[in-house]
Amino acid sequence: MTDPLILFDLLLGVSVVALAVAVMGARDLFAAIVLFVIFGLLSALAWARLSAPDVALAEAAIGTGVTGALLLKTLHHLRYVTGQLDQFAAPGMTPAEPVPMGVIAANAAFCGLITLGLAVAYLGAPQGGPGFDALVAEAMPQSGVEHPVTAVLLNFRAYDTLMEVVVLLAAVIAVWQIERGLSDAPSPDLGQVWQGFARLALPAIVVVGTYLLWKGSEAPGGAFQGGAVLAAVGLLLLLSRAYVPRPAHRGAARLLFVLGTGAFAAVALLVTGGGRVAFQYPPDQAKTLILLIEGLVTISIAVTLAALFHGREPVALPSRRDHHDT
Amino acid sequence: MNNLMSLDPMTLALFLPLFGAMAAFIAPRAASVIGLATVLANLGAVGWLAFEIRAAAELITPLGGWAPPLGIALRADGLSVAMLALTGAVGLLVSFSALDALRDARQRQYFWPLWLLLLTGLNGVYLGTDIFNLYVMIEVIALAAVGLTVLSGTREAVRAGLEYMYASILGALLFLMGVGFVYLQLGRLDFAGLIAATPSAALSAALALMVVGLLLKTALFPLHFWLPAAHANATAPASALLSGLVVKAALYIFLRLSTYMPLPDEILVTLLGALGAGALLWGSVQALRAERLKLLVAWSTVAQIGLIFIAFARAGQVGLVESWKAAALLILAHGIAKSAMFLAAGRIKDEVGHDIIRDLDRSAIRPTLAQFTFALAAISLIGLPPSLGFIGKWSLMEGALQAGYWHWVVATMVGTLLSVAYFSRVFAGFLRFDRMQGALAEHKGWALADLAPLTLALAAISLGLMAAPILSFIELGYPFGAMP
Repeated sequence: MTDPLILFDLLLGVSVVALAVAVMGARDLFAAIVLFVIFGLLSALAWARLSAPDVALAEAAIGTGVTGALLLKTLHHLRYVTGQLDQFAAPGMTPAEPVPMGVIAANAAFCGLITLGLAVAYLGAPQGGPGFDALVAEAMPQSGVEHPVTAVLLNFRAYDTLMEVVVLLAAVIAVWQIERGLSDAPSPDLGQVWQGFARLALPAIVVVGTYLLWKGSEAPGGAFQGGAVLAAVGLLLLLSRAYVPRPAHRGAARLLFVLGTGAFAAVALLVTGGGRVAFQYPPDQAKTLILLIEGLVTISIAVTLAALFHGREPVALPSRRDHHDT
Repeated sequence: MNNLMSLDPMTLALFLPLFGAMAAFIAPRAASVIGLATVLANLGAVGWLAFEIRAAAELITPLGGWAPPLGIALRADGLSVAMLALTGAVGLLVSFSALDALRDARQRQYFWPLWLLLLTGLNGVYLGTDIFNLYVMIEVIALAAVGLTVLSGTREAVRAGLEYMYASILGALLFLMGVGFVYLQLGRLDFAGLIAATPSAALSAALALMVVGLLLKTALFPLHFWLPAAHANATAPASALLSGLVVKAALYIFLRLSTYMPLPDEILVTLLGALGAGALLWGSVQALRAERLKLLVAWSTVAQIGLIFIAFARAGQVGLVESWKAAALLILAHGIAKSAMFLAAGRIKDEVGHDIIRDLDRSAIRPTLAQFTFALAAISLIGLPPSLGFIGKWSLMEGALQAGYWHWVVATMVGTLLSVAYFSRVFAGFLRFDRMQGALAEHKGWALADLAPLTLALAAISLGLMAAPILSFIELGYPFGAMP
């Protein structure tokens, strides 16, 4: 009965924990971010081993890819405002002080205690029932799609998913309205190799992202994973400065941010009537409606994640920036 | 499932603010008009819902036609409609005052989408019956609330907003971890599943995680560290929304959960009451020491949250059948009075030019109507008759006395005295004229902008006279009493 991969699983589990410790122990922020990305990739692998390919894809695309990019961008900005990029420090900036050892020890003890309590409670309790499996299996024929995870996310519990898309919308609105008062850190010069890489990678990313979205109705994948992969297109365009956000683009960007939420909410409302409540798709149109929602939500997620990477409302940049960073 | 109306007021209360937020974001120039229209329409939907609840006592809509536990149902009863009405009515008046209080174009443009998203989240919490759904809703609330905190754009506000976000996300993650444990144990996430579950150590651990997360979000001492700076540094309308409405959402979820999944031990109820007493004392002492008016008001929120937890614990585990009503009354009273007070404090700061308490009596400018509003709100928060705050405190002490728990009465009395003391610091500044520099300025006693806070403060006082109908309304649908 022993799984032949048990050794691999053990190794994976130990590595994930070790990497988590290493991330927290790393003094250098850049090293910490790189370790965090590796941690995310191994976690994705762990999810795959736990037979949760949808979670694995999401972890790899969002938890690791997009988050890693956001962290690196933040680090670059931090180095800029603290004057580590051959630059004057921004006024009022003080270098971060290391956390006192006492605080670290107290935190570690507290977290350890909680983990221990949870472990005891978890191990001492009878394991629960089958969860939603039986209910989902019974309702699948009316869901309009073949993949149970997609059926749960976009039909049975579509209300949750709509609100998760709203969370992303709230995030980008909150980020756009922060008054920074500082200019952006100049993007690093990426050189010739980068241009070539972007040219090769872009089409591949578009294909992978669209494939993930399309496969979502019958196999693992879907809007969040596809959107995160497609966001990489935006990241590449921004980094290679093939696209520079300008104030004139704000209106279009706002429309793209709300496109997914708006379409999702509109469909949820428009299907009502004749005894149907919100989100109750007619069974024969369910698949079309779900694919429509997923497609538009994917676009919004991709644009929103790329905008979060850019990190601010597009503003008119002073012209001196252009020759500063070339 | 038969005879379902195609559009019910609960669905409207969710979708109206959501569409309003999107429209206000796409069309920034029309944001104020869209915002006001949406908030008005939302209040209309809540009024319709209240009308239906008076007849039917409870309404349930299984979204997507999928019944729980597979799907998610919206449910309204007396208590949830009271919270929706608090949110809708306070929200409308704060929206009116935002028209005047938000001066720069960036603030005016972004206030409305953030506030309407917040309204979506709050309405979603009060109609929610599924703990994972509640997690998603508190995330919507958290992001919109952080956005509103940093809206003022000052360095202090951004720093306070960042701390608020860390606390908020940590709270939400603890809650989510608890939700995960519940699903592992029960295989379902709806309230009915929680009520039917047999208690176990693992469920208690899950409940502990969720409760600690919620306490962090509602800022119960000693997890209040993020609140004073965040609420004091936001713009006045944002402060009113954050202090009056946002902390109530986590409090409401706590109230539901702790009744559906009873705390495993009586000691824990007492512990929560003790933390409440700690909050009452510590918040009051800090309010006595605060140098700025808005910071004093923010610390008073910490103290008042403590009072609500004392009301929750007033008669122990068995007394919860009645105690939740005292807590609910105090939640309503605080929501109305505190938003009035923050708006009035904002008006005073705008007119006088600063909000340093020590120097209020030096100012030659006396915004008398705003000062009057502040005093009315303080009367309700202190708990003088006939205000709603008085009724809340009265029922707290009545229940504690009946159960023989004198210590809660003592804590409440001490807290009341301290609140008289710290609000008197402000009144002294309003009423003294001997330290004034120069002649009293040309009378600028009131402005149209004073109307919204004054209405709220008058409501906080006069709703105390309607306590009996309010009490019988929140019992509709038996939020807790008759549940098996």
